[in-house]
Amino acid sequence: MLLEVKNLLTCFHADEYVNKAVNDVSFEIEEGKTVCIVGESGSGKSITSLSIMGLIEKPGIVEAGEIIFEGTDLLKSGPAHMRTIRGDKIAMIFQEPMTSLNPVYTVGYQLDEVLRLHQSHLNKKERYAKVIDALELVGMPYPEEKYREYPFKLSGGQRQRVMIAMAMACEPKLLIADEPTTALDVTIQAQVLDLMRKLQKEKGTSILFITHDLGVVAQMADEVVVMYRGHIVEKASAKELFKDPRHPYTKALLHSIPSPGKNKRKSRLATVDENIDYLQFPKEIR
Amino acid sequence: MNLFEIKNLKKHYEIKKCFFAKPTIVKAVNDISFNVKKGEIHSIVGESGCGKSTTAKLLMTIEKPTEGEIFFQGKDITKFTPEELKEYRKKVQIIFQDPYSSLNPRWKVGKIIAEPLLLNTDLSNKEIKDKVYAIMKKVGLNDEWYDRYPHQFSGGQRQRIGIARALILNPEVIICDEPVSALDVSIQAQVLNLLLDLQEEFNLTYVFISHDLGVVEHISDIITVMYFGDIVESNDVDSIFANPQHDYTKKLLSAIPVINF
Repeated sequence: MLLEVKNLLTCFHADEYVNKAVNDVSFEIEEGKTVCIVGESGSGKSITSLSIMGLIEKPGIVEAGEIIFEGTDLLKSGPAHMRTIRGDKIAMIFQEPMTSLNPVYTVGYQLDEVLRLHQSHLNKKERYAKVIDALELVGMPYPEEKYREYPFKLSGGQRQRVMIAMAMACEPKLLIADEPTTALDVTIQAQVLDLMRKLQKEKGTSILFITHDLGVVAQMADEVVVMYRGHIVEKASAKELFKDPRHPYTKALLHSIPSPGKNKRKSRLATVDENIDYLQFPKEIR
Repeated sequence: MNLFEIKNLKKHYEIKKCFFAKPTIVKAVNDISFNVKKGEIHSIVGESGCGKSTTAKLLMTIEKPTEGEIFFQGKDITKFTPEELKEYRKKVQIIFQDPYSSLNPRWKVGKIIAEPLLLNTDLSNKEIKDKVYAIMKKVGLNDEWYDRYPHQFSGGQRQRIGIARALILNPEVIICDEPVSALDVSIQAQVLNLLLDLQEEFNLTYVFISHDLGVVEHISDIITVMYFGDIVESNDVDSIFANPQHDYTKKLLSAIPVINF
């Protein structure tokens, strides 16, 4: 097992009020597999990924649980150890390629930075070759030219490719992708998803994929974790989940998507009822 | 009956790289023609930059067309006098994509929804208030929320406020510019249901702009596909999905992530 998350509890403190954003969450990721976390905004899926990366800042705090990566508990190992892992063995792609690249540095400089930090034995020439390789790998046209360009000159899809190239530069064991395609068009989304699958096949990377789009989940996931208000309500393989969703919340979520050929046209879609507390139903963990 | 007849509509923008340079011309909308019938849901789909939002702005007269004509109920809106435009804008309303930036954060919900009435009618305060309460009820907003500010609402509720504001003048057409793309799937379903209910009740016409083909398939009668400022295909929903003609439409359809197990 590459990563085991056990009983993770992440809280946010505001005066006397404590918000348990991630509450007793446990799941595993095997090597070379993709696990998807789905849920609505506010369900705690992004906080789960930030907890794994050790990027929770005040007023948030990881209060309990274990995050075991390759046999060591990341929560106990301290910030210095975390720095050697973050960006090297565990890399992350963020949702908005517009805001997660630094606008005042060139694409090449920002890619080079990852290698400078984590592979300091390489010299300048070797790093340049590696960066160009990484850009070629993600299918960037004219990589030598793009190396010298600033992020604002790239389209949304190209920026997301730069983010993926940056994340993949050190060949991480685990790639955390937090809504990597939400800001993109469907055609570009299809390209980016294809690319991630291809890279996974070539390098054997495990992927933790966070999204609210069940269509994307169906394309990517081996295992699916459904989150609702900080809790896991259902956990199953992708096949089982879509064939036989068991938790009422999962069912409601699946039925709320208009999908060609499934719902009658202009029929009213099923909705997730805001007045029902879906936590009252037993968790479905398979 | 055709409510809108759009003929050879063009919108070009000039972009200057520097002061003395010859301007390059961006053809955001390049010679498009289509009709919208009364009571139909007419969707315009395409990827970002294809000109679908520019088309919406042209229909709203927020932007002036470079060339071409837009006939609304037989009259060319590009030649309207200011008085005629005011009348036109009462009949055609818009719902914006982003419910976070399209509501004034310093105004209470009651005032936001009442604004079109304040500008366009001379109703008394009490009549306005009654109308606002009635419309809030229609779109599923609680009476007690009249005095709240936009930041106190969730995304789906804010979009309902936007819909209430668009509905309050009893318009004939609502232009929906990506009304659900900023929302979660569960909330998206609620807003789509609401839009369908309202359309039936008030016999509205929607021009629905979206990049999500799943949503478009569900609600539309007619789909117009745009690509780089041009219309590549326009047909009824069944034909587009069963038998797409243009390569781009095929590409767009094959890119939808389907749940198939």
